Amino acid sequence: MKKLALAALLALGLTGCSSEEPQVLNLYNWSEYMPQEVLDRFQEETGIQVVYTTYDSNEAMYAKLKLLDDSAAYDLAVPSTYYVSKMRQEGLLKKIDRSKIKGFDNLDPELTNLDIDPDNQYSIPYLWGTTGLAVDTADVEEPVDSWADLWDERFKGRVMLTNDMREVFHVGLRVLGYSGNSTNPDEIKAAYEKLKELMPSVRTFNSDAPRVPYLEGETDVGMIWNGEAVMAQETMPTLKYVYPKEGIIAWLDSFVIPKNARNPEAAYKFINFVLRPEISALISEDIGYATPNLKARDLLDEDVANNRASYPTPEDMKNAEFQVDIGDEALQVYAKYWEMLKSGQ
Amino acid sequence: MIRWLPRAWLMLIYGLLYVPIAVLVVFSFNDSRSGYTWGGLSLRWYETLFNNHAMVEAMWNSLWLALSAATVSTLIGGLTALALHRYRFRGKRVLNGMLFVVMMSPEIVLAISLLALFLLVGIQLGYVSLLLAHVTFCLPFVVITVMARLSGFDESLPEAARDLGASDFTMTRTVLIPVIMPALLAGWLLGFTLSLDDVVVSTFVSGPTYEILPLRIYSMVRVGLKPEVNALGTLLLVFSLVMLSLSQWILTRSKQ
Amino acid sequence: MPASGVSPTMSSIRQQPFGAAVLVLVWGWLLFLVLAPNLLVVGASVMTRDPGSFLSLPLNLDAYRQLMDPLYLDVFLHSLYMAAVTTLACLLIGYPFAWALSKVEKRRQLLLIFFLIVPFWTNSLVRTYALKLILATNGLINSALLSLGWIDEPVRMLYTEGAVIIGLVYLLLPFMILPLYSVFDDLREELVMASHDLGAGRFATFLHVIVPLTLPGVLAGVMLVLLPAMGLFFVPDILGGSRNLLVGNVIKNQFLDARNWPFGAAASIVLTLTMAVLMLAHRISKQRIGEEGSA
Repeated sequence: MKKLALAALLALGLTGCSSEEPQVLNLYNWSEYMPQEVLDRFQEETGIQVVYTTYDSNEAMYAKLKLLDDSAAYDLAVPSTYYVSKMRQEGLLKKIDRSKIKGFDNLDPELTNLDIDPDNQYSIPYLWGTTGLAVDTADVEEPVDSWADLWDERFKGRVMLTNDMREVFHVGLRVLGYSGNSTNPDEIKAAYEKLKELMPSVRTFNSDAPRVPYLEGETDVGMIWNGEAVMAQETMPTLKYVYPKEGIIAWLDSFVIPKNARNPEAAYKFINFVLRPEISALISEDIGYATPNLKARDLLDEDVANNRASYPTPEDMKNAEFQVDIGDEALQVYAKYWEMLKSGQ
Repeated sequence: MIRWLPRAWLMLIYGLLYVPIAVLVVFSFNDSRSGYTWGGLSLRWYETLFNNHAMVEAMWNSLWLALSAATVSTLIGGLTALALHRYRFRGKRVLNGMLFVVMMSPEIVLAISLLALFLLVGIQLGYVSLLLAHVTFCLPFVVITVMARLSGFDESLPEAARDLGASDFTMTRTVLIPVIMPALLAGWLLGFTLSLDDVVVSTFVSGPTYEILPLRIYSMVRVGLKPEVNALGTLLLVFSLVMLSLSQWILTRSKQ
Repeated sequence: MPASGVSPTMSSIRQQPFGAAVLVLVWGWLLFLVLAPNLLVVGASVMTRDPGSFLSLPLNLDAYRQLMDPLYLDVFLHSLYMAAVTTLACLLIGYPFAWALSKVEKRRQLLLIFFLIVPFWTNSLVRTYALKLILATNGLINSALLSLGWIDEPVRMLYTEGAVIIGLVYLLLPFMILPLYSVFDDLREELVMASHDLGAGRFATFLHVIVPLTLPGVLAGVMLVLLPAMGLFFVPDILGGSRNLLVGNVIKNQFLDARNWPFGAAASIVLTLTMAVLMLAHRISKQRIGEEGSA
């Protein structure tokens, strides 16, 4: 055993140290949020190798970027909606030199120059999506068309919620007619009381792959991300994506360059590569979320372009709300009620 | 006692341990994307896997890390257990306590505190930081395993060795080490397993330049157990079986 | 930690250059990678949370005051309960298993030990997800039972506490078996024989000879299972559907989502201390039993 271990050590040691380092782009992104094909084509064209490191929540990404100094710099990250403004305000991001960006004008004006980053000085939109209702029409009769329907008695033990504090409270707040970004402690408390009534119906929380409990047959109705719904429909055509009356939760993921990026030039090259209509279209088709690139939309497959789950109509987006930074004080209130909700108090 | 009962119990538990593994292996050849339907035999997930260079590289990184972390922690942990067992010294309780704290600390705390330390001292995040972290959380497991072995150990042997004039080092090498060998092996295996499996600590102390397998797997299974992961699990299983047969073969040969 | 009682040959460290070198290495490692980071945690727990830079002055005990909330006692007790059930199940399965294993012919034992570990080289997360494929409503057990006609409705197994326990036992069982095997392997057949010769029945031998002799292994196994079971937050998340808030989840949430580092740090210190007290009490009681048993 000892000899064998030594031999294995040697063999591994030899393969471990490759001689020449090609130029590298360190991309810090959500898991499975960029097709391998895009990375391969980018490397083929530019010779820059993309090292794809993943995170599973904005919080984890934020904590790591905030704590790291120069010791391990990421060149490009993809925070969601309000994390852009948070990171921008805390000076974690490099300003983007717009003269180096090609194809910015192709982006949907509805999704640029938002409050999170006026004039897009620090971020370039990558993909956007929504969190709405999933309904398995094989097991659920009668139309379900609002968040409030989740409270229905007949869904006891069959409801799924995302494991995301802000999203779940967003639903509670909207059902009561408040803003999903409320910072008013009374409103948050009211939402908590409302959500508490929902808890006996909730079978599971899932923010890793919210389509899975539906595929498993564990849940029939609840929350889901639109891209996940599209993926689930491949094997489960009965799963419907519904835009609830109270308004859908919308989000936008954007490229940002962290302030201590080692290779910002490569980051610019990569952003430009992704902004090409054909690449954006490829990404949207593969991942199932909507591209903000209007030119790319023309290139999409009919099925994808006409799928209301990925590309909602203006009617669907009525009452839609983007999440915004609610500030630290409100965050503590939410966190407290979230723990109470989860521990059944 | 009925004679066949122990063996039946062994077989039953082994069977149960291997059921999920069997499911994994079978589904790695499933043509369907979903884990709940059968779409016929296919090798497409193995193809997908091998075309994923990042994955293959992460696999090598991980094996290398696990081998080195297990070896270093067995070395240090074994020596620690011997020292705790054999010597009287100040601060023994403190030392015990620290090992206990490592085991008790929720992984997330260990992760963040180590990250803070590495940043403070200026250790680059990558192989070195991962190795230091992994050895640290493997250490108590090795110490406990070896201590359990030593506590039942007959004290007359080292005494005899010393009486025969053996130095402390020689006595340790010739008497104690052979006695604790099974425990060392068990400790090494525990360390190797823990290191190969760790997600939480690694998430925090790894940098962009050194991606390891559990992190990649974590991100893949989280988004819904992609079939490639089944293929990867199967390959890891095959790899360990090959290692196992090789070591058996070497052992039997060296005995002849 | 196992008892560090004074053994007859235990010598003072001062006379031993080899031992001294070992100790310097170990102390160095532990001071740098255990004590220093833990001091950082203690330090963090008495600081004030700061939305900008995570931590700031002044020093205070607010985080500990926050912990007094009965909510967290509930969470802790529930976690302890789940971990205890897991440990008990592992012990009940593992004890006879390790015994049986030690009775197998010597040359086969190593191989069997390897086979115990091999599943664990395929990554615990992947295996946890494989369990899901088995337990789900559309999963293997339900499909099999339905097609056999034994049940009409699928049984709900996934996202229950039972599923969490199954998952924890499955992942942690070897950590119980390995130390137990190690003591059984050491158990001298002569002692058991002697007991029989002295007229003790099987049960008496078991109670008065085997149990006390294997106690160190039991204790080691209990620690190796109970402690990680408290902190493995991904199992309750994956198999329990994140419906239960366990200690590990609370601490993770406080560090990441709520970004209340002092609170997270305080929670982990209190957890560590509580477990230390529990373990100590456990150890003392075991020692008592051991002494009575051998008396």
